[in-house]
Amino acid sequence: MVSLLKMPDSLQQHLRRETNEPPNEPREIAVEIDDVDFAYGAHQVLFDVDLAIPPRAVTAFIGPSGCGKTTLLRCINRMNDLIDGARLTQGSIKIDNVDINAPEVDVVDLRRRVGMVFQKSNPFPKSIYENIAYGLRIAGVKKRRAIDEAVEKSLRAAALWDEVKDRLEKNAFGLSGGQQQRLCIARALAVEPQVVLMDEPCSALDPIATAKIEELIHQLKSEYTIIIVTHNMQQAGRVSDSTAFFYLGRLIEFDATEKIFSNPGEKRTEDYITGRFG
Amino acid sequence: METFAPDVSSLPAAHPRARRLSADAAIKTFFASNAFVAIVVLALITVFLVREGFGFFGENLKGIRLYRRAGLEYVDILRATAQRHSLLSRELSQIRLQESDANALAAFDQFATGFSDAADDLSGIVSDTGDQALALREQGATDPNAVTALRVAETRFDQTAPVMKDKIDNLIATAPQLPTARAQHSFEKWKQNARVYLASFPETSQKLHAWNPNEPVPAYRAITSFLFGREWITASFWQDWYGIIPLLVGSIMVAAVALALAVPLGVASAIYVSEIAARGEKSLIKPYIEFIAAIPSVVLGFFGIAVVGQAVRAASHMSIFHWVPFFPISERLNVFTAGSLLALMAVPTIFTLSEDALRNVPRGFKEASYALGANRLQTIARVLVPASLSGIVSASLLGLGRVIGETMVVLLCAGNRIAIPDFTQGVGAFFQPVHTMTGIIAQEMGEVVRGSIHYRALFMVGLVLFLLTLGINYLAQKFVARFRMTIG
Repeated sequence: MVSLLKMPDSLQQHLRRETNEPPNEPREIAVEIDDVDFAYGAHQVLFDVDLAIPPRAVTAFIGPSGCGKTTLLRCINRMNDLIDGARLTQGSIKIDNVDINAPEVDVVDLRRRVGMVFQKSNPFPKSIYENIAYGLRIAGVKKRRAIDEAVEKSLRAAALWDEVKDRLEKNAFGLSGGQQQRLCIARALAVEPQVVLMDEPCSALDPIATAKIEELIHQLKSEYTIIIVTHNMQQAGRVSDSTAFFYLGRLIEFDATEKIFSNPGEKRTEDYITGRFG
Repeated sequence: METFAPDVSSLPAAHPRARRLSADAAIKTFFASNAFVAIVVLALITVFLVREGFGFFGENLKGIRLYRRAGLEYVDILRATAQRHSLLSRELSQIRLQESDANALAAFDQFATGFSDAADDLSGIVSDTGDQALALREQGATDPNAVTALRVAETRFDQTAPVMKDKIDNLIATAPQLPTARAQHSFEKWKQNARVYLASFPETSQKLHAWNPNEPVPAYRAITSFLFGREWITASFWQDWYGIIPLLVGSIMVAAVALALAVPLGVASAIYVSEIAARGEKSLIKPYIEFIAAIPSVVLGFFGIAVVGQAVRAASHMSIFHWVPFFPISERLNVFTAGSLLALMAVPTIFTLSEDALRNVPRGFKEASYALGANRLQTIARVLVPASLSGIVSASLLGLGRVIGETMVVLLCAGNRIAIPDFTQGVGAFFQPVHTMTGIIAQEMGEVVRGSIHYRALFMVGLVLFLLTLGINYLAQKFVARFRMTIG
């Protein structure tokens, strides 16, 4: 409830408009980022970031390189645990009102609920089928039928099924760059996460492949909470419902995407969006 | 080399561009000539090995032909029978150890002596004919009629064999009963073997009659007797045999033990260092393992004799290990001792290359796996190891190449008995002494006469070794190439 206040009014209005909900009804929050400071060893990269990410919507993180947006994204599924000395020095990140950094939280379980798609497509050197099945197999799913169904479902969800259904046993490296990235999205969806994190998913793709992924993101938001980091202003404008602008490790502005792009509240946001720096 | 260097002479010498070009050409020539020297040396080694080695086949064929013409082959037919007899005698003394009853033993000893004496006539024939054959070989066996003098032996054998058979049949018929069940059981088995032996006499006689000194020895025997020969006997009074099989088997067994130990050790420590260890541990473990490679092999061999061999034998005598079927072992220096030390030498190679392969797995694979909720073990087993498998395989192959080629440790620790281990003992065969291809070259090369057949045989062994390691390295490179492709 308290965190709801952090959501700017215009964003709340925007979201209500979209979902046609009556005003002043308390809204769910998918990911609640509360006064987070983050450091790699002695080098602090995030300062006092405070952000409430709405569910079943696309939230974009934008900002110049090195502003900490990817770091924040990787905090949400604790991928930063893999880096020596990287830690949250203050604040908390909550999903379903549970602090994900609490000692009793199982990081394996967290990562199953928070899927991730990386900047560079990274299918495993296995068959297309095995790439999707991986998440289920490590989760202990043994039944062939269940895996078959999940593979088809997630490939359909990633709009890849028709292109690969005849060559599921072929190596995933045989796919094109855009297909590989959609395969990675399908792989993330196979374990049925609540939240999908996307770290510049289109930065290595051509415009046509990018368009496909964007369309996919648009379809997925009815079921998933999507957080996307992007360097591409137009992309943020096209795919996201709300946008957070970061600069030098601080959250400068967080609002409905329309508002950020048409009438930003901060001078620095405007400067960045209009290409005066960054 | 000329192809690399542009033709500088045609340009004006003072031109700065020409000056620069000639410096460039000099650098190119320098590097090209280094590469060239390496290739030439390798080619020279191959040519030298082949030239020194190939003369072996001609001489070997000559040796085998003389063996037949001088009648040594003929005597060996007789000798095989005599040897079977003495083997049976030895088995009797083994059975004797299982019996404790004094009365029964007295009767048994009488039986054993009777059996052993029954072969006296046969031994006489073998030694007489053997001497004749040796004398013939001395002369070069130029006189084809001289061999006929040898053939008295088959008549003598035909006279002796029935007498022997009667004697032994009688002995077996009146054989004493042994009170101990186990001894009696072995004795019954022995009797069966003895009957088979007696039944083979007519066959031996037939062989003797059919033997023909003038039957030509086919040329391929020179090669097959080397490649498939089960005996390596040199500088003997009788016939020298250069069969590589006992050495090859020895080398392979030692290498198998070494790899069986070194691959899990090397790969597991590579996984630990690249994926699990903290930075501090990494900086301690990595140089430490790589330091093993710096230990001189003779020191390792010394350590093997003094510590490992001793410890393994002592352990095999401990009562808690009595359940192991082939324990206690009698030989301190054996396949296992040599193999475990070679493993120590192969670990740094396998470790370093496997670690490289693991580290070269794109970070994306690891992150993708963790992001899907895999734990560390799952990520290692299902993503990292499969993705770097060809790298790990090629690391193991290079380790194998190193192990096969290693000399000092096997020379010191393998026991150097030139015989194919007794595989009827199962795993126990790995605790018997062997000799290896590298070991035999190191041991005998210093003593042979340059240009002799023995000298050439050693070169052939060297050539086989060279081809073997070449093949292994080629395979390793193939795997590395595949590794690059899958990661591509």
